[in-house]
Amino acid sequence: MDYLGQQLINGLTLGGVYALIALGYTLVYGVLQILNFAHGDVYMIGAFLGFFAMTWLGGPLAPTVPVALMLLVMFLIAMMGTGLLGIVIERFAYRPLRNSTRIAPLISALGVSILLQNGALLIFSPSIRSYDTSSYIPSTLGFSVGELTIDSVRLGVLVLSAVLMILLTKWVNGTQVGRAMRAIAYDKDAAVMMGIDVDRVIRWTFFVGAALAGAAGVMNGLLLRGVSSGMGLIPGLKGFTAAVIGGIGSVPGAMLGGLLLGVIESLAQGYLSTNFADTITFILLITFMLFRPNGILGRPMMVKV
Amino acid sequence: MSNLGIGTDEWVAQHEERLASQSPLKKLFARIPLWAKWGSFFLIAFLFGMLSDNQYLLRVGVNLALFIMLSYGLNIVVGYAGILDLGYVAFYGFGAYGYALLSSEQLGQHWPTYVTVPFITILTAILGYLISLPSRRLFGDYLAIVTLFFGQVFVQLVLASDNITFPWADDYVDITAGSNGIPGLDTFNLFGYIFDDIKDYYWLLMVIVLVLTVAIHRVSATRIGRAWRTVREDALVSEVMGVSVKRVKTLAFVAGATIAGFAGTIFAGMQTSVFINGFDLPLMVMIYAAIILGGSGSLAGALIGAIIMTILPELLRVPNYGAILFFVALLLTFFVLSKKFSRFLIYVVSIILIGFAFQLAMKAIGVTQANAEDWVVGFTGDLLKNWLFVPENRILWGNFAFILLLSLIAFFSIAKPIWKHVLLPFIGFTAIFLWEVRLIADVSTTRQLIIGAMLVVLMILRPQGLFGQTRVEIL
Amino acid sequence: MLKLSNISMEFGALKTLNDLSIELKEKEIVSVIGPNGAGKTTLFNVITGLYKPTSGSVKLGSQEMLGLSPAEINRAGIARTFQNVRLFLNMSVLENVMSATFGRTRSGLFSSALGLKRSRKEEAEVKEKAQELLKFFGTRLTGYRWDQPAFSLSYANRRRLEIARALATDPKVLLLDEPAAGMNPKETQEITEIVGSLRAERGLTILIIEHDMHVVEGVSDRVVALDYGVKIAEGDFDHVATHPDVVEAYLGKGSTATK
Repeated sequence: MDYLGQQLINGLTLGGVYALIALGYTLVYGVLQILNFAHGDVYMIGAFLGFFAMTWLGGPLAPTVPVALMLLVMFLIAMMGTGLLGIVIERFAYRPLRNSTRIAPLISALGVSILLQNGALLIFSPSIRSYDTSSYIPSTLGFSVGELTIDSVRLGVLVLSAVLMILLTKWVNGTQVGRAMRAIAYDKDAAVMMGIDVDRVIRWTFFVGAALAGAAGVMNGLLLRGVSSGMGLIPGLKGFTAAVIGGIGSVPGAMLGGLLLGVIESLAQGYLSTNFADTITFILLITFMLFRPNGILGRPMMVKV
Repeated sequence: MSNLGIGTDEWVAQHEERLASQSPLKKLFARIPLWAKWGSFFLIAFLFGMLSDNQYLLRVGVNLALFIMLSYGLNIVVGYAGILDLGYVAFYGFGAYGYALLSSEQLGQHWPTYVTVPFITILTAILGYLISLPSRRLFGDYLAIVTLFFGQVFVQLVLASDNITFPWADDYVDITAGSNGIPGLDTFNLFGYIFDDIKDYYWLLMVIVLVLTVAIHRVSATRIGRAWRTVREDALVSEVMGVSVKRVKTLAFVAGATIAGFAGTIFAGMQTSVFINGFDLPLMVMIYAAIILGGSGSLAGALIGAIIMTILPELLRVPNYGAILFFVALLLTFFVLSKKFSRFLIYVVSIILIGFAFQLAMKAIGVTQANAEDWVVGFTGDLLKNWLFVPENRILWGNFAFILLLSLIAFFSIAKPIWKHVLLPFIGFTAIFLWEVRLIADVSTTRQLIIGAMLVVLMILRPQGLFGQTRVEIL
Repeated sequence: MLKLSNISMEFGALKTLNDLSIELKEKEIVSVIGPNGAGKTTLFNVITGLYKPTSGSVKLGSQEMLGLSPAEINRAGIARTFQNVRLFLNMSVLENVMSATFGRTRSGLFSSALGLKRSRKEEAEVKEKAQELLKFFGTRLTGYRWDQPAFSLSYANRRRLEIARALATDPKVLLLDEPAAGMNPKETQEITEIVGSLRAERGLTILIIEHDMHVVEGVSDRVVALDYGVKIAEGDFDHVATHPDVVEAYLGKGSTATK
């Protein structure tokens, strides 16, 4: 029972990170109907930005500021940076293709992904930078409930992802920009006629989605204790998967999908073999997609003939 | 303007003018019959095979042929039928691994080639069919997603299958050797003739490519090809016009898979080893880049795209060729952008001036200069070493230049025309600087960067690729 | 020839078609009229198998169409055009028509690839048939036009091409969805003549959705009026045009109609 509980906690932590990445995919798909393949690499850049922020503040071994502040700065810089990157990508790789064929933005996204990955490779070199989390966040800061332990890093990640998700939901439902975004996702032409500044809202959407990915990047950097230029590929794929299971275009769907994916993966790793965990996850996904391509909370597309 | 009246539409009226205004080069090109254009390619390939013994070049030829096969196959799936298959490369891997498992010590099987190749090819076709079955219900983005997942499942399965513990066995079973790959494969042995020379494979592949070209061309121009194109255009209407859309899509999918599987077996036989990381997303992206570049939906486009995507990395490997390529591309871009020869000269002169100014500025600030031997690679370096100031800390400056270049290009794309003229020489200089300082040495990353940039730029400027037709789409 | 019995189509709580029954005898031309949203195009979608009705049956001759795929229904003998002209825009004019012969031809992947004789022969036949069909419309869609992409055609030509394409499927019943929409008087007159000759020369049974009453009057043996998915009148043109329910549906309560 406790093993299960432990797996669940790990799963939820992992799921929180996936959920944040998934949100970026879903938000962009909602407004532009494109699959932003470059999203995973934005996540990677976020991890790097966090890393450099950390080194700038003295690094894990000799921080010049209190640890909490350092973490805060890391997240802020990463999120701001990736947010801006998101806006730049939208402006130069997607905006010119607004009226183009369906496949053009996908290919462009592919190109951006390659550029980001190799640009990072060029600038940062292939070595893995170590976050060396354990040396400055003492694991004793975690707590235990019965036999279940959750170390401080995991706890922090879990809490932060929850906070971010709550903030995002408020943004989507409460603010004017958020509502405008939902309007555009529902019917872009009508939104334009209602006087919504579509360009501005899309920019915000990209900013928010990318910033969330950046946060996820820093989180995963802390959890996995390292960053590398290729680290965006698999989490990007998984975040994307999560968005799809939850129903691409649906914000609560992305969150649900992310958490679900994290838990499934954790359980598969814990109970079935670690070797086949990824395979099994993907097979489950495929089966799921075949029976419910719209995902759990997605809306089926009605096409007028 | 000709006889416009009520009932006659403009397009008709302007037909004569349009014909007349086509550039003479295009008209000349259009007059050459189809078989001559293709024929020249195969003639060159044929002659090359007869006259050359250069192992390296023959190897490139073999890789090219395999890549052409893959481009053809993907072109059928994506270009003809409009199915976005993101897991296509898994069929290639399946073919290769299938051959490997039947021709190596891994499972202790050494089947004769004339059995293995057809068997694995047919098996790949069946696999393609099985995968297409559930995918029939999906379309568009969802289909792309599921195929992507299938591709990943394949990779994961191979990686994980070196350590399978069955509940009844004590020891684990290693089927695919996981990430280690399977070496020591039997080369092709057709009825006694052993393929121990790369030339053997070269000839085999050239013949196969020739046959495939003719076959695919024929199919695309007739009933099935038309059906594919209608499905791509408007699947719903296609069905209402009597086309069994599901069957036709499956046909395309399976055809593409079969070609990939077949290519995979030949690849394995030639390479005599297989590694799973060669059948993953990077290769998938390359094949997509090839058919997009050439113009998806066009057989010639797939060929040209494949040629470019294979030759380009090879050229970049040799610093001299790479340098020529770079500078020619740079000059061509500037030439096209300047439109007037006088303006072109101004740009070139400006770049030269900026170079000298940069040198003076750097020296004035006191930045240490790198030794010429450290960075001069190829003859262009020799040419430029007195003009270009290369700082000692090349990595740092290179990175800076990379980001600067991207920023400049970004500004350029949104700048007013006046500013465009000013920015262009700076962009040119930064590009040259970056090239000599970092890129020329870092071949694989450079190749990828070029591919990535090319995809984005291509989509913005010419989404139909080189040989595709401008497509009209109703969203 | 074509018998629709008690067709009901519901989208959730919205009943687009309500217990609709229409029968067409062989070689009849029947027009369906009604205000927008009356369910006319939905009716076509049900007949061609794009929608599955909540209840009812569609019979072509004695064969039940319900449950068949759109391609199977087409091969049984029902063809249609679309309200908003859905051509294969990036394919040539000739190819648009040739592609519709798919259900009537048999060349498979291998016979085409190998260039077998029967494949070549079939291809030539298909091409000839398409050319013949296009000549039906005079000189507008002939000659060099055959190789022009469909998106280069004017609006009226696109509508004509769509009809040619539907004809290429060798139908017994032709469904035309607003064939005269957006046409000027001269073109409208042409369409009326074409519909007539489609019946006379090719023996087709035709069901037309139209708003333009001149076309309806000039072409129909019978007229059916729909409103809110229900048949509100049926008969010859004069009867339906002056029927109080029809007038009310189009013009509101308290109107009278004269021709």
